[in-house]
Amino acid sequence: MSLVMLELTSEKNWEKLGKHILKFENDVVKLRQTIRHYAKQFRMGIVDQTRVTTAVSELFRNMYNYAGGGEVVIEKGIIEGKEALIITCIDSGPGIEDLELAMSDGYSTGMGMGYGLPGAKRLVDRFEIESKVNEGTIVRIMKWR
Amino acid sequence: MSKTQNNEKLEIRIDHIEDTLASVAAGDMDARINSEIEDDLSGIEAAIDLLIDDLTDELKQREKMQKEVEEKLSKIQEQQKTIVQQQEDLLELSSPVSKVWDNVLILPVIGTLDSQRTQIMMENLLEKIVETGCTIAILDITGVPTVDTQVANHLLKTVTSARLLGAECIISGISPAIAQTIVHLGIDLSSVKTKSTLQDAMIFAMKQNIRSENIKLQTLFDNPNENEE
Repeated sequence: MSLVMLELTSEKNWEKLGKHILKFENDVVKLRQTIRHYAKQFRMGIVDQTRVTTAVSELFRNMYNYAGGGEVVIEKGIIEGKEALIITCIDSGPGIEDLELAMSDGYSTGMGMGYGLPGAKRLVDRFEIESKVNEGTIVRIMKWR
Repeated sequence: MSKTQNNEKLEIRIDHIEDTLASVAAGDMDARINSEIEDDLSGIEAAIDLLIDDLTDELKQREKMQKEVEEKLSKIQEQQKTIVQQQEDLLELSSPVSKVWDNVLILPVIGTLDSQRTQIMMENLLEKIVETGCTIAILDITGVPTVDTQVANHLLKTVTSARLLGAECIISGISPAIAQTIVHLGIDLSSVKTKSTLQDAMIFAMKQNIRSENIKLQTLFDNPNENEE
């Protein structure tokens, strides 16, 4: 399933930098460091590095907590004339029933604070989310350089 | 030599070959045919002996390799054990709580705060608060590269539980990048006293200390007056 979804959302002119599997809690930290590394290579400033890292940290934690892990694809490409770092998180978890509710501040089904998804959205330049109940969720974030 | 005699001899030799092959199959790698007669059959016998030699070599080599693999495996397992041990050690090491001044505890946090580490950190801090009776605890997060909602949540919970024990927490070492990130995330840390550097936090703690000592002294001086009246 995840393969089909991946084809749906990938674009040809993007350069794939890496693809990682997230399965354990310490993968969250490991992958977060990988993203920070890419952001650094992308010559982002320290503030933007921190923003991207924190945003993906929220997404990775969601993947780990609610979907038991997933897949992370890191790409770079040109969007609307701007060079962008694109990170896509794909899981085959329970999906999100009410996206609007999930994207609002302070709402959480788990033990969290309810600022994960909306917070991540505010930290990046573009945020896309697609979710089907019982099938999974794809979240894609983009950060211009 | 009559034909029957010859046949009998051949039968014996064939039986011998069969026996040898049977013992080899049963695992006796020393068994050989070792025929001394030179004729058409001896070529086959010698070939069989050679094959047995080769087989023996192969088996020995395989055993050797198996042993090596097993040794390597046990080595890896040992290393794995060491890694797990070190991880556990690190968990304890990375959350030291120390008393730096009268009434002031300090907890430098370094690295990543996952749920397990926060748990240990929180336990250590709360225990130390009860043990020392300190009323100010400084949580220094200079060494934490990423503060996401989970980490913030853990920090808030730690602060709240410390408050329940009568200690006020000061969070120090928030970098400008992290400060901006926290604001964007939408986390409200206004209920927590924060200072940008550990030094500021220490100065603040000392001032609090002096103030509380003054109050103590005042009550000491006030009490006899009350008695006189």
